[in-house]
Amino acid sequence: MKLDQIAVAPVFPMGIILLLFLLGLFSSLVQYFIVRGRLGHVKAISLSALRLIGISLLISFALNPSIVMRSEHRVTPSLAVILDTSQSMGQSNYGGEGSRLDEARSLLLQGPSPLLRSLSENFEVRLYELGDSLRAVGEEELKGLKASTSKGDLTRSLDQLSGKTSLGLLLSDGTMGWDGSQRTDFPLITIPIGSLERYKDILIKEVKAPALAFRGKELTVDITLRSYGYSGLTVPVLLKDGNRLLTAKSTRIQNSPGETTVSLSFTPEEVGERNLSISVPQQFGEELGSNNTVSLSLKVVRDKIRVLMVSGNPSMNYRFMRTALKNDPSIDLLSFVILRTPSDIMNVPLQEQSLIPFPVDTLFSNELKNFDLLIFDNFRYTLFLNPLHLESIKEFVRSGGGFAFIGGPNLPEEGRYRATPIGEILPLRLTGKEGYRRSSSSGVNLSRSGLTHPITRLSSDEVDLSSFWREMPFLDGINLFEVKTSGSVLLESSDEIPYPILTVSDYRKGRVLVLATDYSWKWYMGMVAKGKGNYGYLRFIDRMVRWLTKDPSLEPVQVTLPEKAGLIGQEMEVRIKLREEDATGNRRSTVSLSVFSPDGSRMMTKLKSAQRPGEFLGSFVPEKAGMYKFRVETPAGHLEESIIITRSLERLDAAPDHEKLKEISASTGGKYLPRGENLLREIEEYAKRMETRFIEEKRFSVWTTPFVLALVLAFLGGEWYLRRRWGLI
Amino acid sequence: MRTSSFNHCSRRDFLSLGLSLTAGLFFSGPKSLLSASFPHFFFAQLKYRGGEWDPNANFVEPIIEELELRTSIDGLKQRRVTSLSDPDLFYYPLLYMAGRYEFEPFTAQERETLRRFLTYGGFLFAEDTLGAKGLGFDLAFRREMKQVLPNYELKRLPADHSVYQSFYMIGSIGGRQRINPYLEGLTIDNWTPVIYSQNDLSGAWAKDRFGKWVNECVPGGEPQRSAAFKTGINIIVYSLTSDYKKDVIHHPFIMRRKNI
Repeated sequence: MKLDQIAVAPVFPMGIILLLFLLGLFSSLVQYFIVRGRLGHVKAISLSALRLIGISLLISFALNPSIVMRSEHRVTPSLAVILDTSQSMGQSNYGGEGSRLDEARSLLLQGPSPLLRSLSENFEVRLYELGDSLRAVGEEELKGLKASTSKGDLTRSLDQLSGKTSLGLLLSDGTMGWDGSQRTDFPLITIPIGSLERYKDILIKEVKAPALAFRGKELTVDITLRSYGYSGLTVPVLLKDGNRLLTAKSTRIQNSPGETTVSLSFTPEEVGERNLSISVPQQFGEELGSNNTVSLSLKVVRDKIRVLMVSGNPSMNYRFMRTALKNDPSIDLLSFVILRTPSDIMNVPLQEQSLIPFPVDTLFSNELKNFDLLIFDNFRYTLFLNPLHLESIKEFVRSGGGFAFIGGPNLPEEGRYRATPIGEILPLRLTGKEGYRRSSSSGVNLSRSGLTHPITRLSSDEVDLSSFWREMPFLDGINLFEVKTSGSVLLESSDEIPYPILTVSDYRKGRVLVLATDYSWKWYMGMVAKGKGNYGYLRFIDRMVRWLTKDPSLEPVQVTLPEKAGLIGQEMEVRIKLREEDATGNRRSTVSLSVFSPDGSRMMTKLKSAQRPGEFLGSFVPEKAGMYKFRVETPAGHLEESIIITRSLERLDAAPDHEKLKEISASTGGKYLPRGENLLREIEEYAKRMETRFIEEKRFSVWTTPFVLALVLAFLGGEWYLRRRWGLI
Repeated sequence: MRTSSFNHCSRRDFLSLGLSLTAGLFFSGPKSLLSASFPHFFFAQLKYRGGEWDPNANFVEPIIEELELRTSIDGLKQRRVTSLSDPDLFYYPLLYMAGRYEFEPFTAQERETLRRFLTYGGFLFAEDTLGAKGLGFDLAFRREMKQVLPNYELKRLPADHSVYQSFYMIGSIGGRQRINPYLEGLTIDNWTPVIYSQNDLSGAWAKDRFGKWVNECVPGGEPQRSAAFKTGINIIVYSLTSDYKKDVIHHPFIMRRKNI
């Protein structure tokens, strides 16, 4: 034992301990002088020495002495072996000799000296799989791992391992998320997997396209191609709508690896959700074909609602309706009013007339398809339109156009249109009794359908709504129609036997509305006369146009889809918004969401209320690629939309990125170690620098041992014995 | 309850009605009994206090006849006489106001009614049949317009205004007298709810019960009368179509006919 192995830890201040010791010494000296006279010098010294030793030992308790035993130990370093299992690791390696993951697995488990086993001899090895997230795995799980997840985030994974390991070993092809930051928590050794030299692929790396486009307005899609191993090749880039080719352009690949940008322009002609795809045909020897195609959704909307209005003659109805339409900046109105009929006599030469020819053929044979809504206002069309024109109108509505048929005294007699295409698409027929009645005025009442229909439902309060329409000024003339089964009457006359005033129906893809009066303008001026403003009429006309043209703003529900295409397994969230007047209450039970997978089966969905009244958040988790249809139902109606879930390999750049691995190892203070015979030795040598040792220190407290207590008792007991023996007691 | 009234039916009207009824039993067509019996257009003449509110009592029938003969508009050959307190005022397609002499100021309520009528889409055609600038009816009418619509003023309508090309391409205004070679108007945005003339158009239109012109047109004679009818029809068509002729589709035709 060495002196430096003894340590004291006084329980009292040293001054007190020294004072106690001096007191013990003093008492021993006093005893010596007292006893020396009676027992002699030798015996007195013996007794005093025994007492002094006993007291000194007792006082030494206060020093709390202990013996320190030190021993040095070497710590087995912990090593985190991280195996990248993202999709790119599933690519064939070196021309089809298994995947990159197989290469990594082989390095860890196979050969005469498997790396994992060798490492285990010198390290405390922990295995991790780097997929969507970092996951600890056992050695026995290695063989079953699949490269199927999306790109892992290495930065986040290293954060997770911080403080839990002293060294990291990453086996990867380098296609992973990394923020490039400098790290000091532990060094990471990177082992590159795969080979860029032999990798061949063309992929669509980026597509810049608007999510919203206007019908009839050219739009450009910018596509960035990245290629490996195809320098000098010319490839076509195709833009398709479903299976229909919209446009294509060839581009020459200049460098390898390198990027080429192609711009494709086209003009969408159809309104609605378009499912477009951009593709490059797969080339010979290409490792990955699925990243040659990118799907995207494009919502095509009207820039303006194009309305063609034909009026039978100048009238108050024409002026007020035209003004309402003209003042709406979202409407592009082309109106014709028949200023003179063939029976009217013109008394001036042509140059003194401002009348223009009514371009019937141009409008109804060629141009009608370019409009969204056709309005006939008190128009005796039988004077101007031939059967082909009428057939063209029917086709226009059948293909999705809107048709408003405004009444008045000029409508053709029943027999003139009953068997015509117009008679077929209208949801009403003339009664054949009076045709047009102006002998008595009529108010209007809201029907049961009118209570919920977006054209007439101007308020959520049904009582207010009904009284609002009842208060409208009386109509001085109405057409007497009979409703067909296809028609839905929204407003009816206040007669004892009510006549339909406002009737709507669907005809194939289009919508039809009949307003059986040319006096709706009184709803404007009449309310102004009452001091109530023109709100009702303007809103009615606005809604009439929007309903007929299927404007999304009037749909019972609006759905906002995520901007980016969804991926398999990732929760997709859609925002659902009810129409303003239906939003009151915000009861979740009033809205339902159904999602159907590409094979038509119904999916599990979640639906919850958002913060704003009338808004909901729906979500589902797609399980496979393809088009998912979903249907939102509300009491006021439903909406069907679709969303594309892409194959997760779309846009995947699976080229090995070993430069990134070098960057990662440098940023962490680690090393980039390409695979080779000396790999293990290099790892071990590098690990030695990371080796840590520690000194174990054990303390034995002297006074906790019974021997020392016995020794004190022995000295004090010996003194007592001698004093008794020598007759002092 | 309506306060307006129809003038008494004349013998001519009675015969016309009888013929129409008879014809309607046998014929149907663009102007069948059903459609012709319902006029879309009529004059509602404003009766005011003071001055002379009805200087040309027989102007309606000739202009309506001309209107029906030349255009697709069906008209009523009787006028309605109204006042600014008439609850049906807002349903009248054209409020007509004429006079020779200064009239009493409108009441505040009448001004408010007229302001509301004109601001929300009503149309007023006014004419000074005396033709004295700054005197009589002209003085009173301009005074009232300043009170009714203080932020707007009567201005000469530019040559490309829709009223000059709503039906005819008008080169001259016409009228019983030739005071102004233009119309004046008060324009709110793209709509001119007030058109004002001092040429006495209705004086040029008016016929007596025997079908003779009541007034000579000076100094232009019959061409001046003809121009007055064309102007009248254009004003009526404008009141029912607004600035329809400003639509893009009409532009090239109108430019061509003006040889521009």
